[in-house]
This record gives sequence, structure tokens and C-alpha cells, in this order.
Amino acid sequence: MEWKKGSAELLILSLVEARPRHGYEISKLIEQRSGGTVRFHVASLYPLLYRLERRGWLHGRWVEKSGQRRRRYYRLTRQGRRVLASQLRGWREFVAGINRITEAENV
Amino acid sequence: MYEWKPEILRRLASLKLSAAREAEIADELAQHLEDRYHELLATGQSEAAAFRICIDELKGEDLLARGLRPIERDWYQEPIAVGNDSNNFFSGIFQDLRYALRMLQKSPGFTAVAVLTLALGIGANTAAFSFIDALLLRSIPVKDPRQLVVFNWSAHREPDLHGHSDYGDCADQAGIGDCSFSIPFFKTVRAQSNSFSGVAAFAGPIDVDLSGNGAASMVRGLYVSGDFFSTLGINALIGRPLALSDDSPAAPPVIVLSYAYWVRAFGAAPSAVGRTVRLDSTTATIVGVADPNFTHLTPGKLLDFFTPFSLADTVRGEWWRNQDRLSDPANWWVVMLGRLKPGVSIGQAQAAAAAIFRNEMLHGAPSFFKSEDAPALTLLPAKAGLNGETSQIAPALYVTMIIVAFILLIACANVAGLTLARSAARQKEMAVRLALGAGRARIVRQLLTESVLLSLVGGALGVLLAVWGVGTISKLLSNSPGAPFLTIVAPDWRVLAFTIAITFATGVLFGLAPALRGSRLDLTPSLKESACSLPGTAAHTGRRFRLGDALVVAQVALSIVVLIGAGLLVRTLQNLHSINPGFDPQNILLFGIDPHLAGYTDQQTQQLYGHLQQRFASLPGVESVSYSEDALLDGGWSAGSVHIDGAPPKQYANTGKLPVGLNFFSTMRIPMLAGRNFTSADFAAAAATNAAEKARDTAAEKTKAAPSASTPASPTALDEAYYHSAPVPLIVNEAFERTFLAKQNPIGLHMSDAPRGDAEVPNPGPGYTIIGVVGDTKYAQLRRKTAPIIFLPLVSNEAHFELRAAASPIALVKNVREIVSQAGDNLPLTDVRTQTEQIDQILFQERLMARLSSFFGALALVLACIGLYGLLSYEVARRTRELGIRMALGAQRRDLLRLIVGQGTLLVLIGAAIGIAAGLGVTRFISSMLYGLDANDPVTFASVAILLTLVALAACYIPARRAMRADPMVALHYE
Repeated sequence: MEWKKGSAELLILSLVEARPRHGYEISKLIEQRSGGTVRFHVASLYPLLYRLERRGWLHGRWVEKSGQRRRRYYRLTRQGRRVLASQLRGWREFVAGINRITEAENV
Repeated sequence: MYEWKPEILRRLASLKLSAAREAEIADELAQHLEDRYHELLATGQSEAAAFRICIDELKGEDLLARGLRPIERDWYQEPIAVGNDSNNFFSGIFQDLRYALRMLQKSPGFTAVAVLTLALGIGANTAAFSFIDALLLRSIPVKDPRQLVVFNWSAHREPDLHGHSDYGDCADQAGIGDCSFSIPFFKTVRAQSNSFSGVAAFAGPIDVDLSGNGAASMVRGLYVSGDFFSTLGINALIGRPLALSDDSPAAPPVIVLSYAYWVRAFGAAPSAVGRTVRLDSTTATIVGVADPNFTHLTPGKLLDFFTPFSLADTVRGEWWRNQDRLSDPANWWVVMLGRLKPGVSIGQAQAAAAAIFRNEMLHGAPSFFKSEDAPALTLLPAKAGLNGETSQIAPALYVTMIIVAFILLIACANVAGLTLARSAARQKEMAVRLALGAGRARIVRQLLTESVLLSLVGGALGVLLAVWGVGTISKLLSNSPGAPFLTIVAPDWRVLAFTIAITFATGVLFGLAPALRGSRLDLTPSLKESACSLPGTAAHTGRRFRLGDALVVAQVALSIVVLIGAGLLVRTLQNLHSINPGFDPQNILLFGIDPHLAGYTDQQTQQLYGHLQQRFASLPGVESVSYSEDALLDGGWSAGSVHIDGAPPKQYANTGKLPVGLNFFSTMRIPMLAGRNFTSADFAAAAATNAAEKARDTAAEKTKAAPSASTPASPTALDEAYYHSAPVPLIVNEAFERTFLAKQNPIGLHMSDAPRGDAEVPNPGPGYTIIGVVGDTKYAQLRRKTAPIIFLPLVSNEAHFELRAAASPIALVKNVREIVSQAGDNLPLTDVRTQTEQIDQILFQERLMARLSSFFGALALVLACIGLYGLLSYEVARRTRELGIRMALGAQRRDLLRLIVGQGTLLVLIGAAIGIAAGLGVTRFISSMLYGLDANDPVTFASVAILLTLVALAACYIPARRAMRADPMVALHYE
């Protein structure tokens, strides 16, 4: 499957928008919601997460919950929230553009 | 769980990450792989297959290393302070701070207790220091205050003077002497001395009725010499300052306003300059406003305006009657200030001025001393010389400062104890850091950063507490008798520097011990998960607990000292309250009336007082009514010398004097011991004599003012009339009889006023006759010994009324105001209060000290108990397993209780013993503030020790009960 540049970032940012999630949870959600068509494995997911954290869009924090091993949870930073909003806008414009083109052809 | 980490680390190796970062990534990825592995197992994969899939996903064409390489290069400085071999000690201080913040967020309970404790300590110190700074340290706001000196005199004997006033600018000297001089002497020094570039004089403040700017109000003015402003180097903000030309009696009356009064009363309107106002009955022109920086001269004294001495004859002339204040060398009432010439030392100037003083005193006309009286003159730097009221407050301030310093030490010990207990829990963290190569200095720095951060937060909160505290204490201080206390207390750079300094010192002080301890760790046991609960590590933990114990002992000892101080001050207040003042202070309403200010003559005043007395007496609930010039125990008093007939010449009785109204003794419930009470006839006689004296004085004044005018014989006739008027009847108290009239029947004895100046014979005049003796009462102050007093009929002057009511007299105030305003429009009622309030007011300093020290004593006690409780709670938690084993082996709950309480009790007793020993050493410093008990009062010492021990035992009991409830099974499973 072809990827628009930056769309993987968009997926991750939008998944942690509502609440902080850990890496495995993020990879499972991407897999489930895409019906298995999009998959991130450990080797590709974490470099991406670290890059987003490095840019200051995500903030990772070790959290210990009783009865569980500690996990690193990622939450959206203020800057990340702005990036997500602008990427979503860009994405919607892109999709709308695609739709206009394809619909015009199909009519 | 599979060992994923070696697989992960192998793939990270090529990146050459820092060990910590590598470990963190491995941690996170291992967790992910473990999750994935279990997911695969759940879908039915075999363990081997699941493992293979996971590893494949990890390998993924070397994706991990390739993906991480651009990101991880030179990223991610380790936030935990591991061995960072930077040469610069301060590199990474920001990280330290961030980490420290995170650590504090992690344990909000500890942080809250520590911050609050520190805030109390720092806040109390800042507040106390603000007062010391404002009242004792800040220099006088004039030009080059160091060149300014104050003149003081001393002698072995009181000079015979016509008038001698002291407005509280200088501290009471131990012997005879003060800083009051006559105007002629001031002028002599100004003319003869060449050590000074200027010599100025001032006197006051004097309360004056100012009108012409809205409603009439009482203002406080300072009489100053014309060169006052130039000598002090004070300019006018607008208009002009006073000048030498204003000193001349012919000069038009002018005043200069203080900046604060100009803002307060004139709204800072520049048009105020040039306006005229009425001071009592004299019209004066405002010619200027003083420099805003010139807020005070003597700390604690507020000034509204400055006026030249030339006005002293007309403004408030009544009070001094027709005494000549401006040219009489026997009227000592002004304070002299000199500005040293450049290059002249204070010693040189003093030698020159002292020579002038000796000459004037011994050989002047009149001479006031003989050479054996050793009259001497000293010059003091203005800052030290003009200490006024602060000399009374200073001891209290210093004691408060010491108390709050103790509180800060206790707070430090307390937080150090908490930090120590917490650092035990962080041993593993420290061990990991040391193992990873962190230097000791690095760890100490990290821990100190945490403690300084704590103290900074505490300091910030403390400043807020201090602002509140300063406001509260100012309010308390302004209730002091007499002048409303000038609140010049405002934070300045010195207070700020002090607060910052103590904040950092506090942080280092309480942080250092745990920090050094934390960095001196034995690695091997600490790295094991639950090392600290293993009995085998006792050697190691024992050392820590010796420090913890020492901190609790120190807290207990310090609080004992503070509590003993508080106990002594509280008992002093109790003792003062239980003094029998010689009259019944319950249910008496007091208020002042000054008909002279409203223009009443003596005769009108007399009639007014009689009328008011009748009206008040008819009020429901009023039992009896009287009045006196000063209310008893209001801090004010007057005194004089009399010569008793039959005593050797020149032997004078120095006695307190109090003019009183009809029924004074019955109203105050002072017992009549011999003779009879005053009657209306006595008042009429006294009034007649007073009128004759005034008539004679007024005529003499006129003769003096216009000596060339042909004077009829009337002055001599007036003299005769005065000399032949009836002696004033008076009543003496027991102390007077005891002191001066041994074995004589006092009734009917005659006495005269002591002569003025050099006169050899007693004043000619009708004198006084004793008609009765009453019981002793305290006059001005409770602390003073009961002194001789003579009571005279009050026939002029202001009066304080005393209304004895059947119940609380406060309800009468409204009626009293009505009656007074019906009697005269312009009669202001002043100082309305009950006699018990009045007594509370003169005990103000004692009450303030008792309150402050009890508050801080209670605080110290609470802090020490928190410290003890914290230590024992930690101890119980730490020894849960041991306690469980003890119980399993048959120990009774009682035994465990005894074990824990015993440990606490031992610490408390050691601390109490040290504290009592220290108390024995230090309480003598407050012995001058005590009344009726010794500085080492055994009752106070014992009760404080018992109180603290009981409260401390309660603090031990809570953790001990927790230990008692230990279930052996749970305890043994505790790990």
C-alpha cells in the first residue's frame, strides 16, 4: 500500500489525542482500525515514536500501575496538538481533492 | 517472560547509545515484544513460533537501527544525574532542577509538609527581621547620617529646673541625664562651638488642633530651630524649608508639612503651599512640603508638620502656661543635633562641646550643678542616640528574632529528618547512579538541588506568610499606649537579601546531612530489592538512625527552650494581671475631655465637669462618677517636689501628683484610711487659690513683656492675694505617709512647693494642707513599685472621666456621647475605653511577647512532634518484619508498644534534658522582661518538660499502635 508522506505520523498523533497510550496499544489500534491493512511492528513503530517525541509533539512517560509492569505512555503535547490539527486539515484537503478528481471521472 | 533484552540490545549496539538510553529503549521494546508474544500465544501459536515471529518483527531488515540512528544521535541527555564528567560543576543544573521538580511531584505529601514547615520557619524569620531592619538597622533618612550627632548630658544629681520635658527621642539612661537641653544652651553651643558645620534643635511631637482644612483634627507637630532643615540636609519638595529667619519672634507664623501628611490631608495638592491653617488659635501659613524621603527622625515617631520655635509661645501655650520656654535656661525641653565638620572626629567635637556644657552648668547664671555633681556631656551618633521608643521594643524584637531562629532550626531538623527517611527509600536510586559512574559530588549536587528547591518554594510561601505576619504585628504594635506606632516596616533590599540568604542556608542545612549520607552508600546491599528490611544490614541502617535520632533530640531540645521562654513570658503576664492595683478596675468606663481645646476657661471647665458628673450619675446603670487629670494606669503621670513643714531646709519630698474630681476615691473604690474625703468646699478653695495664682502669673508676664510701661501696683496686690489665699487641701496615699511622714500625724500637716531654680527658700504661696490618707494604688505602670502620691482637687486642665457601672459599661458609651455633645458642640471625646482595656493596653508589650512566644512555642512543639512521629512511623514501617517475627515468637502487643514508645521516650527525655540545660543558660537574657518570677523558675521548667513529654508520648503512641496491630502473617509477607 502506498503512503502519503507523513500519514503514519498523523495516525499516531490522532491515536493519542484523546488519551495517553503505550506503544503496543498504539500498534494494536492501528492494526484493528485499519482492518489489518496497516501494521506497525516494533522495529518501525518505535523509531517513529521517538522521532515524534524528539520533535516535541509527543511526551513519553513511564507509568506504573498496580499489578502491571511499567509501560511508557505517550501523550500529545501542545505543539503536537497544533501539528495534528494542521495535518488533519491537509489530509482532508488532499482527500477532498482526490475525491473531486475521481468523482468527476466516474460521473 | 522471555529474555527479550539481549536480543534488543544486540540490535542497538551499532548505535553506541548511552547506557541509560539503551536500557530505557530495551525496557520499552521488551515490554512491547512480551505483549505481542502473549497475543500470538492467544491466537493459537506455539511458544516457539510466537517467539520466532516476535524476533522477526524486531529484526525487520535492520529497520530498528536504521530508524533510530538519525534520531538517537546526540539526543537524549540522561535526565537522571549519572556520572557526567563535565568539568563545569554547574553544567546541567537545569536538568537537576527538572529532575528535582519531578521527584517532589512524586511525593506530594512529603513535599507539602516540608514546604509548609519551611514556609513557617522562613516566614517567621522574615517577618521578625523586617521589624528589626525597619526599627533598628535602617539609617535616618537625612543627608550623610553618619556625620550627625545627638547631645546627651548626665550628672550625679537632678538639676533644679522650671521645666523638664522628654519626648521619648532618647532611651532612658541608667543614671540621671537625658537629651533635653534649654534653648539658651542650644544657642550658646551654636555660637561657641566650631566643631560643627551646623547645630539644630527640635522638640515634640506636640498634639495640636489643626483647622482650616476641612474638619478640625489632631495633628502632631515638631518644633524645630530655623537651621533644622539645613543642618539635616533636607530640602523641600515644593515651597521652601524653614530658615533661620523664621526663628525670629517677629517672623510671621509658618509651618512646613511632612510629605505623608500633605498627601493624607491635602491630597498632594501643590496649592496647599501658601494656604493658611489654624493651629489651636494661631493662624500659620504653609510654606513648603518636606522631602518625601524624610519620613522620620526618631523611629516610631510620626510627624505631620514642622514649625519654628517662635510659635511655641502661642501654640499650646496653655499647657506650659506662661513658663518661658524660649529664653529660660532652666527650661530643658529640646533635643540638639550637630553635624560634624569634615575632618572633625566625634571625640574632638565632644571634648569641645563638653567644655562649653561644664562651663555653663557650673558657672553660668543660673548654675545648675556643683563640680561634685560631675555634669558631663556626650555626643552619640544620631542613629544610636535617637532610638526613642525602639529602645523599649528592641529587647522584645531581639527575643522574637532568637525564638524564630530556633523555629527555623527546628524546621530544618524536621525536614532533614523527613528527607532522611525518604532518602532511605531512594537508596536504590542512589546506588544505581553510583554504579553507573556518578561521582559523589554529582549526587550531592542533585540532592542539594532538591532541598534548595524545596526551601525556595518554602521561602516564597514564607514571604507571603511574612507579609501577613508583618501586617498583624504592626496592628498589634499600633495598639501601644501613647503614639500610634509608626509602621515604617516595609521590605527593602536588606530584608530581601536576608530572606534569600536564609532560604538558601536552610536548603543547604537540611539537605546536606541526607545528601552526604545518600552519596556514601554501600552499593551491594542497596542494589538488592529489599535490602533495607533485611536484619543483616543493621550496621548500615544503624548509622542512619543515629543521625535521625540526633535530629529528633535536637528538635525536642530546641522546642523545650522556646517553650520555656514562652512559659516565663506567659507567667509574667499572669503575674502582672494578678497585681492588686489598689482600686477596683472592673466595670469602669474611661474617656477623656479637654475643654481648653474648645476654649473653656477654668471656671467654665469646673462648671462643665460638675454638670457632666451629675448627668452621667443619673444614667441608669451608673453607680458613681468621678474624673482625674490622668486615668490610673494609662502610662501617663506627673510628679513634683514638695517641702513638708518641719523637715530640714532643702529636703524635698519627690512625689507623684494626681488632680482628681469629687468622689474619686469612692468611685475607684480606694479605701479612705484617715482624715476625710474632698468636699465641694475643698474644690471651691482650690479653685480660688488657682485663680489667684493665675492672675498673678498673667500680670507678671505682662510686666515682663512690657517692662518700660508704667506698671501700677496691682502685681504686688495680686501677689498678696495669692500668698494669702487658702492652702490647697490634699490627700496623700499610704506610701507618702510611710516614706515622708514617719511617726507624724499627717492630718493637718502643711507643705509647700519646692523652690524653683536657685532660690533658697520654699516658694512663698499658700501651699497645701493634708486632709486625709487613702490606700496605695498603682499610678502610671503596674510594674512600678507603689510610690508616694498626693491627690489634689482638679480645678482646671483636661480630665479623664471614670464611670463605675453595675455591669459592663460599654453600653453606656452612646449615652455618654449624647450628654457630652449636648453640653458643648466642640468637645471631642477621646480615648474611650474601659479600665480593664486600659490595663491591657499598658501591658501591651508583655501581652505581645506572651502571645508571640506562645504561638511559636506551640509551633515548635507541633514541629517536634511531627518529627518524632515521622521518625517512629518510619521505624515501625521499616521493622514490620522484625515486629512480626517477635510476635510470632510470642511477644505480647504490650511488649511491642513498650519497644516503640520506649525508643521515642528515650529520645524525648534526652532532648528535654539538653533543652532544660540550655534553658538554664539562656533564659537570663529575658530576665529583664519578667515580673514576679525568676528566669530559672522551676515551676515553668518542670511544667514545660512535663507538657512536652506528654505530647511527645502521644505522638509516639500512634505509630506504636500500628506496630501493635501487626499481624505476624501479614508482617512476614510484607516484603
